[in-house]
Amino acid sequence: MRKKIALFILLGWVLLIIGDRVDELRVYQGAQMAMYTIALASIVLLTGYSGQVSLGNGAMMAVGGYGAALTLNNLGSPIWFAFLMAVVCAALFGALLGTAAARLSGPYLAGTTLALAVGLPAIANQFKFLGGEPGLLFDVGFPPERFGEEFTQYKWFFWISTFIALIALFMTSNILSSRFGRTWRGIRGHSLAAELCGVHSSRMKILAFTVSSALAGLAGAVLAMNISLVAPGAYALSLSFALVTGAVLAGISSLPGVVFGAFILVAIPEIADALAGRLGDADKLNHYLPGLIVSILLILSVIYAPNGPGENLRKHLRKKPAR
Amino acid sequence: MQKVIETLLIGLSTGSIYALMSIALVLVWRSTRVVNFAQAGQAMLSTYIGFEIASRSEIFWLGLVFAIAAGALVGAGVDYFFMRVLFKHATSGPAAVVAPVIATLGLLGLIRSIVGLTWGGEFRSIKAPASTDGFTVGDGTIPFSTLDVLIIATVSIILIALALLFQRTNLGLALRASAYAPEIAQLAGIRTARTRTIGWSIAGGVGGVAGMLVTSNNFLSPYSLDLLLVFGFIAAVIGGLESMAGSVIGALVLGIGLTFILNYVGTSLVFIGGFSVLILVLLIKPDGIMAKGKARRA
Amino acid sequence: MIRKTRRKRTWFAAAVIASGSLFATALPANAETGVSATQIKLGITLPLTGAASPGYNKIGNAMNAYFKYVNDNGGVYGRKVTLIQKDDMYTPQLAIAKTNELILKDKVFALVGPLGTANFTATHKSVNLAKRGVPSLFLNTGFSGFANKKNYPTSFMILPSYAMEAKVVAQFLKESHAGKKLGLVYQNDEFGIDALGAFTAAGVKFDVSVPYTSGSQSAATAQTWVSQLAAGGAQVVVFFGVTSATAPLLAVAAGAKYAPQWILGSVGADPLTLQALGVPVAVLNGAQTPAGNPSPNDTSDEYVKQFQEINTKYNTGVAFDDYVLQGMNLGLMTVQALRAAGQNLTRRGLIRAMETKGSTFASVAYSPLGYSKTSNVGHTGYFMAVMGPTGDRKPLGGSVTLYTTDSGSGPVVKSTFKRPAMPAKGLPTNS
Repeated sequence: MRKKIALFILLGWVLLIIGDRVDELRVYQGAQMAMYTIALASIVLLTGYSGQVSLGNGAMMAVGGYGAALTLNNLGSPIWFAFLMAVVCAALFGALLGTAAARLSGPYLAGTTLALAVGLPAIANQFKFLGGEPGLLFDVGFPPERFGEEFTQYKWFFWISTFIALIALFMTSNILSSRFGRTWRGIRGHSLAAELCGVHSSRMKILAFTVSSALAGLAGAVLAMNISLVAPGAYALSLSFALVTGAVLAGISSLPGVVFGAFILVAIPEIADALAGRLGDADKLNHYLPGLIVSILLILSVIYAPNGPGENLRKHLRKKPAR
Repeated sequence: MQKVIETLLIGLSTGSIYALMSIALVLVWRSTRVVNFAQAGQAMLSTYIGFEIASRSEIFWLGLVFAIAAGALVGAGVDYFFMRVLFKHATSGPAAVVAPVIATLGLLGLIRSIVGLTWGGEFRSIKAPASTDGFTVGDGTIPFSTLDVLIIATVSIILIALALLFQRTNLGLALRASAYAPEIAQLAGIRTARTRTIGWSIAGGVGGVAGMLVTSNNFLSPYSLDLLLVFGFIAAVIGGLESMAGSVIGALVLGIGLTFILNYVGTSLVFIGGFSVLILVLLIKPDGIMAKGKARRA
Repeated sequence: MIRKTRRKRTWFAAAVIASGSLFATALPANAETGVSATQIKLGITLPLTGAASPGYNKIGNAMNAYFKYVNDNGGVYGRKVTLIQKDDMYTPQLAIAKTNELILKDKVFALVGPLGTANFTATHKSVNLAKRGVPSLFLNTGFSGFANKKNYPTSFMILPSYAMEAKVVAQFLKESHAGKKLGLVYQNDEFGIDALGAFTAAGVKFDVSVPYTSGSQSAATAQTWVSQLAAGGAQVVVFFGVTSATAPLLAVAAGAKYAPQWILGSVGADPLTLQALGVPVAVLNGAQTPAGNPSPNDTSDEYVKQFQEINTKYNTGVAFDDYVLQGMNLGLMTVQALRAAGQNLTRRGLIRAMETKGSTFASVAYSPLGYSKTSNVGHTGYFMAVMGPTGDRKPLGGSVTLYTTDSGSGPVVKSTFKRPAMPAKGLPTNS
């Protein structure tokens, strides 16, 4: 445990130094990566561990984002409290939904959460206090002055996002290696056997849903901070799809993998952009190439490495010495 | 009172298009145990092909025929080249539960990108095969038009054709048998794999019709059929995912219900209305309104 | 124990690899960003795809066509102007991401013609345009909130605000449609709400008012608008929205044989876009609209004639409509601003040039420009026009009667302003 803490502190320190050395665009992308890391952790926990498929993570993120924005704008609270409220709102909502979700299996849950991802952000259009289509501003303010003139807004976002992501990952990894993590894996693999061992399978599923939603909500608030805005469009269906893709590419049940998944999600538009530039500058190419790459990766990975590329690599490495 | 009837009629026309989408989903679900999220993509691709034909020949119905053919071909192709490979590989591990769902999502994205790269993201519109001018009732006009009548008629014809196919032909029997008990069907000499591919291709054709009809009084874009998929899914769940008749009833109920929300409450509550219906059905009658007591599988 | 260490190593490796690959080369920051000896790089975000794209997706190409024309004729003090377009699909979060790319990655000198109220509000805040000192010229939105020079020190508007437009329409309603039942359909964001506020302030009450959400426009939703309007018996219907919403509204109304006097806001009345969306242009016949520019098919206008020529040559195959006209004009104004900023081009210099010389720039619109040290307001007025069966636009009453006003409580006044002449061959020579 103490080693783990030391490891995370070291990681944070490395990131801090990196953040000082790269240009502003990379810093901004780093902040995005931190956001994706949290969101992917939420999927890994839900799908990889407890075996529930949710396509509605974008909706959970929206709940967190709006919760944080409303707290920040209406109560004038400090930033950390807004993030805390994001977690609380999303967790409550997740618990509620999880109660329904625990009764659903596989495709029903997938379809229901898909409908949620489509429908929930639209609520913002109905109620004035949610700001409608243009959304609400989410302003965590300028970085503290003592950091100096050179300390940009994006670096401030990067610091906050990374800090939150590290804490979130630390907590998640602890939860997953605890009794709960084991139980979830048990339910996923052998629901009946787990029940026989005295596990309340549906209660544990609701718990997984709640924790996962809380994480998603946190990610939603971080996303809102990075773009200074909460709006229905920020939590569109495409976000939910991107997250599922990232989680699959990361290896759906590997927590360290989420860092890799987040990296891919940030890198793909970059790569596609460069590729499109080389192939010609047509708008169409710019617009659809990222989607094409993501889809092809997703399909290949589901067919050939359903448990993530990491798994295949590990298998490969394990085989070699035996030969 | 007139507004109620208007709303009912428009809802019927909307719901009948949902019905086609939900039938396509049910057909695939029964044979493969996969909710095919790529159905929206397949339908979109077929609609684009239908759109090309319809706008070049200026005959909507020719476009429709081509859309059906394209849909059937794509459907069969997806099963043959994609689902078979998928089931061969993804069988174990924590991802086994999610693999089919995610694979169809990936396919949806793939088709969307290909369509986008081919046709671009501009909004297209197909010239409607009939007047969209409302009928005159008394001294006013209602929003219900000849086109709506035509939509309802087309859907009815397709539904009747499907019913005959499933109830009266050997192929229909084979389809039903391999969906209900694949092993026994195989023992009885039915080539289940081939039958499944036929099921996918019928679903694809039906999806193509849904795409063409929904586009006949709206715009076509690489994203325009996503909502149709969601509503089709909700309708299928209302009907219990297994039953074609159930999903048609579910679709009509949903279409009429949502049109009432649209006309009486407001546009932004439509999605939420649909979602609430879904949750209610799942919580109160999770086997769908047509459930006959058989436990839900999967 | 062994497993544990391995897991930790994976953790660490994953993080280091991922973040390490974000490393990039540092860039020298000697000259002004986006300006070299031979080139000036500009950027724009606009909807190239998606629900709001019809019409707007032509603006960037039109601007580029004009820039190419200028470049072929010597450029701006020898520098070639290039415009990088990015698709924001009319959503704020994409606008932010793309603007980030323009500023941090492509390193453009300035933004020109960024589009959409919500988008620019969000972008300005998130990308921190003011603090970075990035000039944002000719915001393609009429939201009066941007007229706040203190909050938007580096931004300049071009369109008259929606409030101004609404005030002119309100005046017109009182003069020409007094005593009739009024209806209003408006986009439920700053765009429409800005206008709504001005109507209320001017004392115009609508018997039926229908808000719609941006992006929700379709034949199905238009059904509900029309049935509400018809049920309320509206005889004059004012519409404040985008053309992709005008299309279903007019089509459905024609289908339902509901024919009030339409007054279409200047943003949503482009006949060619309507046609592209499959709506017969004839539905526009007789619609009244506040207009700032001459009709794009009015070849007797020197600006229109010149721009049409450039369009034929540099934007081949693209029909010349309001959006192309607007794009060309943005190009013309941008070149004037760049010239006014002098040979030693800096962001600060550009902003100063806009403040001191911007109000004298040549522009196709009939009304005066309001730029000064204390104001970033662009055009300040409208005239009323009526549309014909081919979508052509003629000044109501035969000749242009220009009204100017402000976004606040100022009066609406008839103006005798004469706009500056088009520079010879459409090539500015100002300095």
